[in-house]
Amino acid sequence: MYMKQREIQHLYWRAGFGITPTELNSLSQKDKKYIVNSLFKKSKRMTPLLANTSYLDGFTKEILLGDKRKQKEFRNKSREKIKELNLLWIDRLINTDEVLRERMTLFWANLFVCQDNHIYHVQSYNNTLRKHALGNFGDFVKAISKEAAMLKYLNNNQNVKRKPNENFARELMELFTLGEGHYTENDIKESARAFTGYANFRGEFVLRKRQHDYGFKTFFGHTGRYDGDDIIDIILEQKQCARFICRKIYSYFVNETIDENKVEELTSVFYKNYNIEKLMRYIFMSDWFSAEENIGAKIKSPIEFLVGLTRTVPVKFQEEKDLIKIQKLLGQILLYPPNVAGWKGGKSWIDGNTIMLRLKLPSIILTNANISTREKGEFEDSFKKYYGKNRKNKFIKTKVDWNTFERQYKSASLTGFTAQLIMPKLSVGTETYLKTLSKTSKQDYCVQLMSLPEYQMC
Amino acid sequence: MDRRYFLKQSALASSLFFVPNFVKAFESLPTKALGYKRLVIIQLSGGNDGLNTIIPFNNDTYYRSRPTIAISKNNVLKATDELGFHNSLLPLKRLYDQGHLSIINNVGYPNPNRSHFRATDIWQTASHSNQFLQTGWIGRYLDSYGKKPYSAIEIDDSLSLALKGQNKNGIAARNPYVLFKTSQDPYFKNVLKYYQDEHLSEHNLGYLYKTMIAAESSAKYIYEKHKTATTHQEYPNNEFSNQLKTTAKLINSGIDTKVFYSSLGGFDTHAKQINSQARLLKIYAEGIESFVKDLKDQGTFNDTLILTFSEFGRRVKQNAANGTDHGAASNLFIIGNQLKTPGFYNDLASLNDLDANGDLKYTVDFRSVYATVLDKWLAVEDQKVLNTSFSKLDFI
Repeated sequence: MYMKQREIQHLYWRAGFGITPTELNSLSQKDKKYIVNSLFKKSKRMTPLLANTSYLDGFTKEILLGDKRKQKEFRNKSREKIKELNLLWIDRLINTDEVLRERMTLFWANLFVCQDNHIYHVQSYNNTLRKHALGNFGDFVKAISKEAAMLKYLNNNQNVKRKPNENFARELMELFTLGEGHYTENDIKESARAFTGYANFRGEFVLRKRQHDYGFKTFFGHTGRYDGDDIIDIILEQKQCARFICRKIYSYFVNETIDENKVEELTSVFYKNYNIEKLMRYIFMSDWFSAEENIGAKIKSPIEFLVGLTRTVPVKFQEEKDLIKIQKLLGQILLYPPNVAGWKGGKSWIDGNTIMLRLKLPSIILTNANISTREKGEFEDSFKKYYGKNRKNKFIKTKVDWNTFERQYKSASLTGFTAQLIMPKLSVGTETYLKTLSKTSKQDYCVQLMSLPEYQMC
Repeated sequence: MDRRYFLKQSALASSLFFVPNFVKAFESLPTKALGYKRLVIIQLSGGNDGLNTIIPFNNDTYYRSRPTIAISKNNVLKATDELGFHNSLLPLKRLYDQGHLSIINNVGYPNPNRSHFRATDIWQTASHSNQFLQTGWIGRYLDSYGKKPYSAIEIDDSLSLALKGQNKNGIAARNPYVLFKTSQDPYFKNVLKYYQDEHLSEHNLGYLYKTMIAAESSAKYIYEKHKTATTHQEYPNNEFSNQLKTTAKLINSGIDTKVFYSSLGGFDTHAKQINSQARLLKIYAEGIESFVKDLKDQGTFNDTLILTFSEFGRRVKQNAANGTDHGAASNLFIIGNQLKTPGFYNDLASLNDLDANGDLKYTVDFRSVYATVLDKWLAVEDQKVLNTSFSKLDFI
């Protein structure tokens, strides 16, 4: 049986960042299995995200050692490069075909939250997320525990036999695998000992044998001379770990309002072998995934909003720093999470300021803040009068590729176009208002639709 | 009586009839009544060097630890036998002399974090150093006690975590006019005009509409209030003073807002600290002095409390670049007219008994300061906001 257009869109909003008419066309008259398969197939590859660090590559340890000025230059350049990586990441989200892998990477980045100022470490961390995004969860956690950025972020580089630092061990269980209340303080103490001596040498993981505690540890009823990997294996044995991750996945990919039965169903699938790809395939293939209450029920994150918008109408920002500024104002700067708990998501994206900015941004980005409110038969647009004066200090400068947009949406009827841009059902009131507006130009109509609260949902 | 004057007065009076209802509704009397207490929070971002702000000018360890950046004794504005102000802080010293300033030394928390991000987070959420909260302390105050969507205003373009609650948020208004203009977009107004209640019942989408409606009315209210207020006070011409001026105008307008939040950045003085800190402290002190004068002029100072903090102090020992690195405990300023302990609330901690990093040890938990302000100034249950009971201090 063919998959309905609305369901394909839903799938692409959750597994990716929306869908263009061309893609949608290519999938029409295809069944669900084919469509879901093709998503995974396109994400088989893993394309690392790399900033151009050639200049910094010359700063070897030998050069940096003892040269304060060079160290400072390295730090400053490194910070700049992280901003560059931020922009490259957004560009990737907009243009990639590996949508599922990128979507998963974004999800994991807000679960295994980490922040650092060293470009090589940030980059390596980011690509580790990407590499394991659809792989085995156990391997994933083990890899994360050895990343230089994570060792620093949760102070595991200070975790030594003589004086264990429990920060990583605590967050490993509280935020990464089990959730609060599913371990004891003693579990933290014992597992922290297992992670002693973890360090990085020139970005590579090393175990400092003299700092590692080789003694017996008792953890979740098991006793042995455990290291960090052993601890992670024992955590994976707890069904709660599978449950914790499935709950996060359900909340992010399906619905923030948790259906406990569905989470249990997923848990039994995931617990078998912690295969992330299998879990995701199971979700996307389930009938309940496309249940009406799940479609258009999620508030877009700032990144989903920006990426979705630019996937519909290609835009180039003249000043790249504007894109960072927009992320800041909307409350989500990639690579700069607020703390290890990550972005809370959902309603917390929206306050009085962000909602106004979100509704205003499509017009700011696409038409220099002009949203046409010309009514049918009306000669002059009252908005043009309102914003008629030459507005100085334009907020941002962009180059909008309306040609591609026109080509993509050329054959769409107005109703079809609305259905492609707006995921939740339009309310009667809003629909009535839209009907009063003149629709001579699809571009105007596009900006109008994108300026509705409904467009904030996916 | 002058006839023309009379006519003018009656014209003014009759025009009141044309004030739209919503404006009248907002003229809530209690805010004009005495005793409507407001809190102004100022964050010095970057980690202000407390030791070069309030200087222990008789302390040998201080001078030994900072051979090139210590403030010499004769440059200090002496306040006690031990402590004095940085000479950029003359306006602040005047407030001190008038009994309007209370300085609390060694404010911090257990296991201090030295990252800007994390430390700011800890101060804004009032968490323990190993706890991660996703709501701010003012946000949680709003959750329980915020009556209006503008009960807390941040003078900025976007909202800090401090003002984000579980269900309620503050609103950011760097420039009330711009905020108002944004909210008055004809397209939005039409969308809202056509909205129907059904939206409001829907889970997430309803929340978007509700927030937008609240934002529109807040923006209008804040703008109307801001417009009515006048000030004769001169302020220095800089962004920080502009923030304070906006705050003063709003307070003096009788706005129904309990908390204001603003910040001054640039205190991360790792290198060549002397000049940059002097410049910033000057901006801070001059701005504050104008602000206090403005409030005094209009009779609102008595009911305003100003709290100034920084996410951490700096290392006692200077570094090789004539600056200081990230430290821990530091001083915090309380400014107001109803202080119980004007002057120094407590002694500076010993510079010879530092923590393992060489930083000042805290003696006052910053959440005790918050608890005191919540309990004794805003008159709410501090434990409900802070989730833990902290002992209270005696400064108000």
